[in-house]
Amino acid sequence: MKILSCIKPVPDSSSRLSINEAKNWIKTQDLTFVANEADNYALEEALRLRDKHGGETVVLSLGGEEAARVLRAGLAMGADRAIQIAINNPHTLGEFATAEALAAAIQKDGGADLVLAGVQSDDLGTGTTGVMLAELLGVPHATVAIAVEANPDAKTLRVRRELEGAVIETTEVKLPALLTVQYGANQPRYASLKGIMAAKKKPFAVWSAADLGVSSESLFEIRELAVPEKKSRVEFLQGTPEEAVSLLVEKLRKEAKVL
Amino acid sequence: MILVIAEYRDDTLTTTTREAIVFAQRVGRDSGEPVEVVAVDSSYDPAIYVQALKSIAEQRSPSLMVTGHTTQSMDYMPRLAAALRKPLAAGCVDYEKVGDRLVLTRQIFNAKMNLKVVPIGPGPCLVTMVPGSFPADELDAGAMPQIEKVQGPEGITPSRQIIDTARAPKGDVDLGSASIIVAGGRGLKQKENFSIISELADALGAAVGASRPVVDAEWMPREYQIGSSGQTVAPKLYIAVGISGAIQHLVGMQNSRCIVAINKDAEAPIFKVAHYGIVDDLFKVVPALTRLVRDLKG
Repeated sequence: MKILSCIKPVPDSSSRLSINEAKNWIKTQDLTFVANEADNYALEEALRLRDKHGGETVVLSLGGEEAARVLRAGLAMGADRAIQIAINNPHTLGEFATAEALAAAIQKDGGADLVLAGVQSDDLGTGTTGVMLAELLGVPHATVAIAVEANPDAKTLRVRRELEGAVIETTEVKLPALLTVQYGANQPRYASLKGIMAAKKKPFAVWSAADLGVSSESLFEIRELAVPEKKSRVEFLQGTPEEAVSLLVEKLRKEAKVL
Repeated sequence: MILVIAEYRDDTLTTTTREAIVFAQRVGRDSGEPVEVVAVDSSYDPAIYVQALKSIAEQRSPSLMVTGHTTQSMDYMPRLAAALRKPLAAGCVDYEKVGDRLVLTRQIFNAKMNLKVVPIGPGPCLVTMVPGSFPADELDAGAMPQIEKVQGPEGITPSRQIIDTARAPKGDVDLGSASIIVAGGRGLKQKENFSIISELADALGAAVGASRPVVDAEWMPREYQIGSSGQTVAPKLYIAVGISGAIQHLVGMQNSRCIVAINKDAEAPIFKVAHYGIVDDLFKVVPALTRLVRDLKG
């Protein structure tokens, strides 16, 4: 099986985010970018399927140096080769143009039996791009996968999906297909020193938007990035921990009447 | 015309659909457009939904196609948007009219930032609304529109075959009937520290809950998980400790009568739904609260 695993570079979760001068995105220059957390579960699933059924795992990312960095980390975890779509300021594309570029790269690479992505990104956080990519590739998909079993001879996948209200659905899709993988689906492996050394010798393709023939025009105009206004009803209780908790208990008894 | 796509769970119209209708009605009032609500008359499959809604979009030319931001909608709305080559603003919390342009506010970076966007080109623009963004009870005053059932084109085969659907075992943890819940999150830093949650729960006679990262890290079993992929709860008192408040968690507990949040980050989204907040080190606050509750009961 040829498996393609998509990785989005996102700011490290401990980053303090601030808004840039144009007020249309965060300041990115001082941030450390890492692989989107959910994409690590997708890559681990891809590596396990390859180890079991043979074939290759290709990691794919879009962006500048931050994308190259997460791809090198993917190679160090065990992916066989990497493709970087070199586009600067990837946040200006929006999900649709991103999915178009990813689809064009997958097609240029000869397609895939299975495409994997994380269930959502740590920045936009909606799980849009992967599902759009399935439509653009013309393949079936399943979201929120927590377990995957492949039957390459029958060209099918059996997927356990985690739905709302603690419902687990088992569903079958025909290959080629795309899955988005849920947090906690597996235990992503760490890169070994040997893996990091081996990664340096693995094939690493860099394609531009022009190589792929994509326009990379967004369907949205970004008007403003802003810190949400406080619409909250919260009453903060001040003082030392002891003072704050005694105020709290007082309020819970007399005001909210829940104790 | 603004089109709302209805979602049902266990044959009941979901609250997120009702909220999406309120959003659509308010936008409709501002722009002088009527609102139509449709439900796809089929068991759920993304290919069937996409084909049915694509033909509705082509026949009726809505300016917006709106639904709640749910696991099901995010399984087909991105495909529908890509099939139509139209913009999808997923995870919206608000809107404003600037001239005749509709500005949509998307919640990003785990609700720490709002991204205001304007769709480019002719409609429809697809929108999914974050649960809790608009008041569903606005529909109680007789403003609930008819819901029209729509069929997909004939001969569409489902893209997936469902083999089995099961509720994850709840075990003996029934958080639904607890009147007080103390829930712990990633802020507890390690498994052993979860004991301070259990001690506070013991003192209060409360049940213990957990956020998703805590369950993923195996500090607590899956049946304690509160949120969209765990249990949905609405106790009279919910105490969130070291929980930042991802949307998926808020959906599972925001209807609690009284919400207390203890977190060292004053910007954490959990404070948006909390009634009382303490911004401090939870390792100092929680034991102090436990001692006080024990003293009062003792």
